[in-house]
Amino acid sequence: MSRIIVITSGKGGVGKTTCTANLGMALAKRGRKVAVIDADFGLRNLDLLLGLENRIVYTAVEVLAGECRLDQALVKDKRQPNLALLPAAQNRTKDAVTPDQMKKLVGALAQSYDYVLIDSPAGIEMGFQNAIAPAKEAIIITTPEISAVRDADRVVGLLEANDVRRMHLIVNRLRPAMVEKDMMMSVKDVQEILSIPLLGVVPDDEKVIISTNRGEPLVLAEEGSSLAGIALNNIVRRLEGERVPLLDLNVPDDLFSRVRRFFKGSQS
Amino acid sequence: MNSDSLVPASVASDSIPTMPQPPAVPQAQVRFKGEEGRLLLLLPSETENDSALTWMEIWQQLKQRLNSGERFWQPQTPVHLIARDRLLDGRQLQDIADALSNAELQLKRVYTSRRQTAVAAVSAGLSVEQHSLLTHLNQTENGQALAEPLYIQTTLRSGIEIRHPGTVIVLGDTNPGSSIIANGDVLVWGALRGLVQAGAAGNASCMIMALRMEPTQIRIADFVARAPESPPNQYHPEVAHVSGGGIRITRAIDFSKNQLTNDLV
Repeated sequence: MSRIIVITSGKGGVGKTTCTANLGMALAKRGRKVAVIDADFGLRNLDLLLGLENRIVYTAVEVLAGECRLDQALVKDKRQPNLALLPAAQNRTKDAVTPDQMKKLVGALAQSYDYVLIDSPAGIEMGFQNAIAPAKEAIIITTPEISAVRDADRVVGLLEANDVRRMHLIVNRLRPAMVEKDMMMSVKDVQEILSIPLLGVVPDDEKVIISTNRGEPLVLAEEGSSLAGIALNNIVRRLEGERVPLLDLNVPDDLFSRVRRFFKGSQS
Repeated sequence: MNSDSLVPASVASDSIPTMPQPPAVPQAQVRFKGEEGRLLLLLPSETENDSALTWMEIWQQLKQRLNSGERFWQPQTPVHLIARDRLLDGRQLQDIADALSNAELQLKRVYTSRRQTAVAAVSAGLSVEQHSLLTHLNQTENGQALAEPLYIQTTLRSGIEIRHPGTVIVLGDTNPGSSIIANGDVLVWGALRGLVQAGAAGNASCMIMALRMEPTQIRIADFVARAPESPPNQYHPEVAHVSGGGIRITRAIDFSKNQLTNDLV
């Protein structure tokens, strides 16, 4: 049975496309056959992050119009043959596709792929509705900020109403030093509101910016070269059913922070 | 020890403009109502409201009510759909029937005042009764008695609005961005973080109770209040009620004792 997972957030810019690219690549590295679909019609980015922009010939729109076959539109990654990308059209808008059409596309992909990852656009309008229509599971991405969490909460409600019950949470761009100083929401604060199972925590990492610009997903870099890369690989292991403890992202201990933590603990 | 904790009523009403809140119109949302061994599924009227709901909104409300009420329904309870003047086509009726059967309920009959809906229902194999506006049902809706309490067993997420012409009980949290507007009391067995209005039809003796009172805003009848700027260190179950011309919050353990010795407003 193929797993069909939509990666969504509500808020824009929290890391949906980055996570889709990296999770897809990491799953493919483990030997799974993975298809990633860019559902952000008009503002497509998944191809950039995977470094496949100049190999796109056909997009999902041409497949739906019958102008080409599905396998002609799928871009196979030369670095990792298990991974294929179905690009979105850049010259159209979110209304170019309907939920039923998305279900058809995903249904066809699910025949030959172990995982179908759908990169959802930001917002809760037509683009989002299209992305969640075929999904059986969802990965909710949020940053530890009040606005992102609020939007994620809205999205969880909409997913529940659409019968997508299996949900996973990724807290992205965490800055442990700021959490320590009570300047940023902690993972626990986020879970307090969202109450969905935690899939993983990815720390804020400069290397993500570099990998985006190069079109090389972080998980392809050398093992252990970046904390975010390790976290993403752990997430993939958890997705596959392994029990992996969360990374210890805490700042090195010093007397002052230990004292502060002691007092915080006694108050809650 | 002063058990009242909230922004003093005078400060609260100065800083928030009083907004006349329309009473919870009984027909404004999708509602289930138990009646003699069957369930009525009431849809809001299309023409009686200024802002009629779209099919998408009706569908989402139906799913929310279905998801949050499963524990009490017996399997295979028959459901009568009171569609009123709503226009529904065959596909929508089938979707409703499917959603109900996923919750082990059976759509048996459709009451409608629109000919097209009646035709679609008959084509879908349902028994139909076509009326020109069901006046006897409308009369019970406009009466003074509150509807039976609405019991919701789910966390209310941001963006969800529950309106009910009666008391609302929530087994779960209400997240910021959600709102409950009830003609009766509101009880939240969890954290109350969203917006809540009790006594929406004007009854200021209604109360709001929560295990953790962390609201964005609470309203009772025409009174409005917000939580104090600095949250307490520890949360206790609390009751919000109108007293002395404003909303006060009292600890639950103190509240019943106060009720015995004082007269409420």
